[in-house]
Amino acid sequence: MQDRKIISATASVCPVCLKQISAQRVAEHDGIYMEKSCPEHGDFRVLLWRGSEESYRNWERQKQQPAEHYCHTHVDKGCPYDCGLCEDHLQQICCVLLEVTQRCNLHCPVCFASAGGYSEDPSIEEISEWYDELMKAGGPFNIQLSGGEPTMRDDLAEIIRLGKEKGFTYFQLNTNGLRIAEDYDYLKQLVDAGLSNVFLQFDGLTEEPYEVLRGKPLLAVKKKAVENCGRAKVGLTLVPTVAPGVNDNQVGDILKFAMQNMPVVRGVHFQPVSYFGRCDLEQNEQRITIPDMLRYMEEQTDGMMKAEDFLGGGAENSYCSFHGNFMQMPDGTIKSIKSDNTGCCCTSSKQSRDFVAKRWSVAPVLASTESSCCNIAQTTAVNNSCCSTSQPSLFDVFLERIENYTLAVSGMLFQDAWNFDLERVKSCYLCELSPKKKIVPFCAYNLTSISGETIHRGK
Amino acid sequence: MAQYYESIDPNGELICMKCGVPFEKMEVTLAYMDNSFPVELPRCPVCKMVYVPEELAVGKISRVEKSLEDK
Repeated sequence: MQDRKIISATASVCPVCLKQISAQRVAEHDGIYMEKSCPEHGDFRVLLWRGSEESYRNWERQKQQPAEHYCHTHVDKGCPYDCGLCEDHLQQICCVLLEVTQRCNLHCPVCFASAGGYSEDPSIEEISEWYDELMKAGGPFNIQLSGGEPTMRDDLAEIIRLGKEKGFTYFQLNTNGLRIAEDYDYLKQLVDAGLSNVFLQFDGLTEEPYEVLRGKPLLAVKKKAVENCGRAKVGLTLVPTVAPGVNDNQVGDILKFAMQNMPVVRGVHFQPVSYFGRCDLEQNEQRITIPDMLRYMEEQTDGMMKAEDFLGGGAENSYCSFHGNFMQMPDGTIKSIKSDNTGCCCTSSKQSRDFVAKRWSVAPVLASTESSCCNIAQTTAVNNSCCSTSQPSLFDVFLERIENYTLAVSGMLFQDAWNFDLERVKSCYLCELSPKKKIVPFCAYNLTSISGETIHRGK
Repeated sequence: MAQYYESIDPNGELICMKCGVPFEKMEVTLAYMDNSFPVELPRCPVCKMVYVPEELAVGKISRVEKSLEDK
């Protein structure tokens, strides 16, 4: 048996100088590695995929033809230096992060945005120009209000209302949850303004991951934030940063907590740690890859969720993400709802945008202000029913469960200077808007060299 | 199980156009993407064709399809 085989070529960057260099994907007995060499700074090697070459190839999904997109910049120095987006990009935009502040009320040892300290927030007028630029670029896109910690701004509701007036429909709040836990009225104002989803940093169900990743215990705060989201009737997605040896053993507990808190919790979105921005963790040889996440989920849920229930990204590069949907039946059993691999699920940015909006927005049963006898969760047979039938049909039960009690479980593996792959970057649909109003793929925007240099952040 | 039959053909008057005989109430299973839904619908005892009313086809069946396909 061959021990080592080069299976494909791509391009990456040198982690020291961030110059573009060629890279190879190499299959070995235990996984797929990226290997690259900088003429100045030497050789680099990192694990991309723990598993066989066959499993790696099988994960890839068929893509639609590259979509036409708005170009703000021309190809000059090559990827990833010309972002804006440039003509070489291969995907349209799905979601855009707006960093509405650089201030933060935590100082996490791990932060892709290196947030904290004081800098002046962008004005409402500047944000208005951002929205206009995004509409010009093919919007409306799904908007992620990010930072820093966006709830540091007292005028966040105004920012949401402004976006709605400009034609945007989906607003997601990327938050640590501190303010929405302690200030319900503030959260309610955001929801009344049009907030669709709270994307809550949620690293586990013990204090240890918070102490390591966030610098202090926060579990009670997180639980209060979950409670407030239910009260305010807004969709909630739990977002664990998963770090080796820190909370990779809590994946199952997080999923079970999410199931117990449906329909308030709409999804869990795992983010295995990446070594960019501010990251005080040691660069660990035990990198968490997609097969690791699938295995954790299967083992730690006792097979309730299985690796085979998940698919790779359809619109973005398949090796950037995974996702599966799980419906909880009234008796507590879990059913995987898996689209087939040939085209039912999202293969375009527009489909992904709609999918996110549908799956992560508030559950219809919570959004409804009127009580209905058709709520199957509470009743199985109703006299004098408003329904056309005397008993709920299986269709009714199924629809009620899939719309309200389906958990979207997903994950995204952000790239850093070690595993940066320009093939993946070119098909990215999750972008940031730079201060100069350039649209930059998330991983390119947050790319940092060993010494902390960036190409796009803050420029 | 769904009690559609009573609302579809409350007086048992539906006739199969092909065979000219009255439909009978039958339990049939509708299946799509690994999900099945038993439902009582009118069926011709001769040619075995099942009558799916338009309201059901463009209503709940369509909603279930779209939910499963994530469309």
